Amino acid sequence: MSPDLRGLADLDRVIHEPARLVIATILSVAESADFLFLQRETGLTKGNLSFHLTKLEEAGYAAIEKTYKGKIPLTLARLTPAGLKAYKDYRASVKTLFEK
Amino acid sequence: MNDEFKAIERRTVRSFYDDGLFEIALGAIFLLLGVYFFGEIALPETSSLPMFLSSAFFFVIVFAGLLINKILRFLKQRITYPRAGYVSFRKERSPKRRLTAGVIGAVTGASIPVLMQFIPSFRDMLPAFNGFLLGIVFLLLASKSGVARYFVLACISAFAGIALAAAGIGDIRGVSLHCALLGAAMVLSGLAALIVFLRRNKRAAEVPDEP
Repeated sequence: MSPDLRGLADLDRVIHEPARLVIATILSVAESADFLFLQRETGLTKGNLSFHLTKLEEAGYAAIEKTYKGKIPLTLARLTPAGLKAYKDYRASVKTLFEK
Repeated sequence: MNDEFKAIERRTVRSFYDDGLFEIALGAIFLLLGVYFFGEIALPETSSLPMFLSSAFFFVIVFAGLLINKILRFLKQRITYPRAGYVSFRKERSPKRRLTAGVIGAVTGASIPVLMQFIPSFRDMLPAFNGFLLGIVFLLLASKSGVARYFVLACISAFAGIALAAAGIGDIRGVSLHCALLGAAMVLSGLAALIVFLRRNKRAAEVPDEP
């Protein structure tokens, strides 16, 4: 396999998925964001957003905190240090690949 | 692709300014500053109040900043978060940037009394100086957030400062008027943004986050 193709194959697939990439980009700027904010910014359905957040959480890239606002459940998401590093690495890899 | 990342990042940052509350809060501080500077020159010289106001400047600014911050948080919780969702931002922790900002602030702050001392005509140009300085701050805010309103406010700040200096309204009186004008412009701009925000964003139904 050529080094270029290896670089492509080595991309972090958890971050690489478009919906999760948008979520990770938002959370790389935001310290934390709630479900409503992420849903509005990504345009994902509740089910889809929940699925992708769970995937990020399972990979150790996102921390999901479930609290309450009055009696209404409130979900806050943030990138973990590992998630932020994975996102930065992904961006660096993509930049290198596209510059070649 | 890098542009797309940057567009998402910028849109996320801009969401903080979409509701106009930040401008209203900052505008209120500038209006307060206008009144404060006007108080310094309008109060009789025999009174001890002007001297008290001068010495309390730092505390007035800090207190006003803390108060406005509290009010801003309260309003965000009541108006913005139920409509657009909650987001908090990472704090800028770059020591180099902080140091640069601190040095620029200190040099600018220290240069004003020096310039006033050695160039007597500088007092007449104070509103223009103030206008340019605040204009630069608004330009930086605009480039960081991508909010076009801040470009307009930067222009208003610069033009108002020049106009006041050209009209012969210099010194503290001119600065006081400049602060009041800029504060009023910011409050109006913020209110317009808030009206648009409220029209575009209906309060989300209070249903659980996840299906």
